Formats: sequence, structure tokens, C-alpha cells
Amino acid sequence: MSDEEHQFESKADAGASKTYPQQAGTIRKNGYIVIKGRPCKVVEVSTSKTGKHGHAKCHFVGIDVFTGKKLEDIVPSSHNCDVPHVDRTEYQLIDITEDGFVSLLTDSGNTKDDLRLPTDEALEGQIKSGYDDGKDLLLTVMSSMGEEQICAVKEIGGKN
Amino acid sequence: MTATSAFESSPEMERFLCERLLNTEQPIAERFRALFSLRNLRGDAPRRALLQGLDFGVSVRYILVSTKERAARDPSNLLAHEAAFALGQMQDAEAIPALVAVLKDLSLHPIVRHEAAEALGAIGLEKSIPVLEESLTTDPAVEVQETCELALGRIEENKKVNGAESTTTSPFLSVDPALPSKHGLSVDQLRGLLLNEQESMYQRYAALFALRNDGGDAAVSAIVAALSVKSALLRHEVAYVLGQLQNKAASDALSTVLKDVCEHPMVRHEAAEALGSIADQESIALLEEFAKDPEPIVSQSCEVALSMLEYERSGKSFEFLFLQTPHVQS
Repeated sequence: MSDEEHQFESKADAGASKTYPQQAGTIRKNGYIVIKGRPCKVVEVSTSKTGKHGHAKCHFVGIDVFTGKKLEDIVPSSHNCDVPHVDRTEYQLIDITEDGFVSLLTDSGNTKDDLRLPTDEALEGQIKSGYDDGKDLLLTVMSSMGEEQICAVKEIGGKN
Repeated sequence: MTATSAFESSPEMERFLCERLLNTEQPIAERFRALFSLRNLRGDAPRRALLQGLDFGVSVRYILVSTKERAARDPSNLLAHEAAFALGQMQDAEAIPALVAVLKDLSLHPIVRHEAAEALGAIGLEKSIPVLEESLTTDPAVEVQETCELALGRIEENKKVNGAESTTTSPFLSVDPALPSKHGLSVDQLRGLLLNEQESMYQRYAALFALRNDGGDAAVSAIVAALSVKSALLRHEVAYVLGQLQNKAASDALSTVLKDVCEHPMVRHEAAEALGSIADQESIALLEEFAKDPEPIVSQSCEVALSMLEYERSGKSFEFLFLQTPHVQS
């Protein structure tokens, strides 16, 4: 995967070409949906007898995949929704800089240096202590709609 | 599409919705939004709120009558009627005693009594049969009598289909006053049934809902033609169904109904709300004009319809979202 694909993009076009349309009535729990411009995982969905005439609308509750914030939206079930592409890629951790950025090794042998340590304290702690202990670590990076974030860490095959 | 379970909401949201529904200083459209949000919920609190909306409408109406302020603008007929409708759609058996009391109360506007009878049919329990049979013979309003006939027919039909086949769910998730006519009838045959003044009201309603479920252009034309039938009750249901179908081909006919000051208020009310649901841009001026109609049921229906239209055009829900902290718009 090339560096360009992971180049940080400005907010202005964060939504453009990062989603595909899908009919609201076919989006299920544990799927993904864009709510208020944010990529969300669907944690709850029900069909609402909206208004007096009962036109079915889908009521989604989603969790922003980056911030963990809960969002909800109601969409006519026959309308198309934006569904975000959500990708996960694993990189080997090379270095952590003093100002909190990580240096990652890509499949092509280049380095990727534009990601900060995650804001999640537990995850950040795991990464730092693993690195300090000299362990070989794989970081999982989630990317969606022009944003990226480290979302998981694991050790590469145990030593001794 | 199968119906899914009703959404759960926070106690704060339920309190907000109850307060909004019962606050007479709120615009009627906002109270309607709260009402239909409550309709989508389950449990004691939503039912209690709707019963309060019904009782509140009833008691206000009674006070106005007793103090001889009949000329005063009465906001409660429309809301009470819609609260009864929502209770029927929820099929909540706990609401039966209140609905029975409303049906028997001849001091109430016929539109409210009609809706109570229809709700009893929607709930569909046999214990409602005696009161429906009584009102069928004693109620002074023909539209209430006809509603009782329909409700009795629905309860009877439900008994048969429960043993024979599964009930078909309305594609609009509505609980309809009659089950659709059986499959196999052509649009022309259904049209003939619907427009036949000699046919029973239940069979005509059944044809109407079968045509609605068909939804094609020929079916819509047949439904529009029924806006000229003799029964005001059937005309009002025709307008409601056209609101469900959201077919712009019906806009002209519905506009004609709304403009007709000699038409029964319940039909004009449904025509207004149907126009709101169809959400034609051309309907806005008409609804704004009749938001000043001297008949409160019509003028308030136009206010609600304008609100519905705005939400429909933006593709959003008429109801409040359930998880967000409710914010009051200025």
C-alpha cells in the first residue's frame, strides 16, 4: 500500500469519494453508516412508523469509529445512505518520537510518519511500554473518510 | 418489510415528549411531533401521555362547552382525535377503557368519537364488541356509526384469519381499519367495489387498502375517484391513503377537497395532512392560505401539514430523535 493512499487529507473533502451509496433499509446492526458527516458503526437500528402516514424510516444509532461519540439519524428506508469505507491495515512499529508521533514500516519498505499516538490512554500505554521493553509490535491503523487512527496493538511472535 | 420492535428512549426524552404534547402554548405542529414520537414507543409512560392528551382534549372541550365559549378557538379536537388514532396504532389494550369513555361521550366532536371507535377496531379485542354495537345503533353521527361497523368487521375478520392465514402487514406499518381484499382481484374489480354505493362499508374499505397496496398508477386513479363517494368517512380514509402513497398525481384532487368549505372537516383535515405528506412545492401556498381557515380542525391541520411537508422534503423524520438531548428551537 503506497504512502499516497494514507496521505492526510483536508477536512474540506473528507467526505468526498470515501463513501458509497446503500439503501437505508438494507443497512444492518454492526454495519457502517455516515451520520452527520462522521463514519459510524451501527449499534442499533429500528424501523420507525414515522409521522401519521406510517412511511417507514430507519432509525440508526451509531458510534463514531474515531471519537466513540454516539450519534443518531432517521432516514427514509427507501433512500440511499452514505456508507463509509472503513479499512484496517497493520504496520510494524519502528520508532516513537518525543512529540508523540510514531514511525511505521509499510509493506513496501518505506516509513509512514504522519500518525500520532492514539488518544486512548490504555492503548497508548500499551504501545509505549511495549516499545520501551524492546518488543516487536504491530499496530493496526483504521482509516475512513480521510481520517486515520491507531486502533489496536499486538506483539509479533514471542521471543524466548 | 417486517415491523421491528419499538425504540426505547431515555426517561428524560419521555418527560420532554409528555411535556411537549400537553403544553398548550406550543405550536400545534410541535405537539404533533411529540405525539407521533410517543406513538413509536412502548410502555406505560408513552401510553399515559397519550391518554393525557386524549383526556386533556376531552376536558378542555367540556369546559369550553359548559362556559358557552363555543366560538373560542378550540385546539383540542384535532389533538384528541390524533391521540386516539395513535393509541389505536399502538394496539395498546390498556387504552380500551379511555377509548370506550370517549366513544360514549356525545358531547365530544364526532371526529374524536370516530377515532376512538377506529382505535378500538385496531386494538381488535372482542371485549370491545358490546360498546361498538351500542354506538352503531345510538350514535347520532353517521360517520361514527360507519366507523363502528368497520371496527366490528375488523374484529370479526381478525378471528377468521388468525385461524386460516397470517395477517398481511401493511407496507406502511399502519394498522388499517380493514384488511385488504383478497389477492386475485384486478384493479378494475377493486375499483368497482370501492365506488359501489351498494356495497358494505367494510368491503369498500378492503378494496381501498388492496388498491393502496398495489400502488400503481391505475390504482391511484381509482383511489382519487373515491374522493367523490357519498360517505364522508370513506372520503376521509381515501385522503389518508393518498397521504400514505405520496403520489403527486393526487395533489390536485386533494387541493380541491381542502378548498371546499362545504366538505366535512374530517375530510378536509385528512386532505391537508395528505398534501403535507406528498410534500409538493405547489402545496405550500395553499396550506398557508388555509392555515387561516375559520374551522380550527382545518387550520390546525394545515399548520401540521406545513411542518410535515418541511420534514418530508428534507428527507428527515417528523418525530424527535430519541437519544439526543432535546433542544428547544427559538
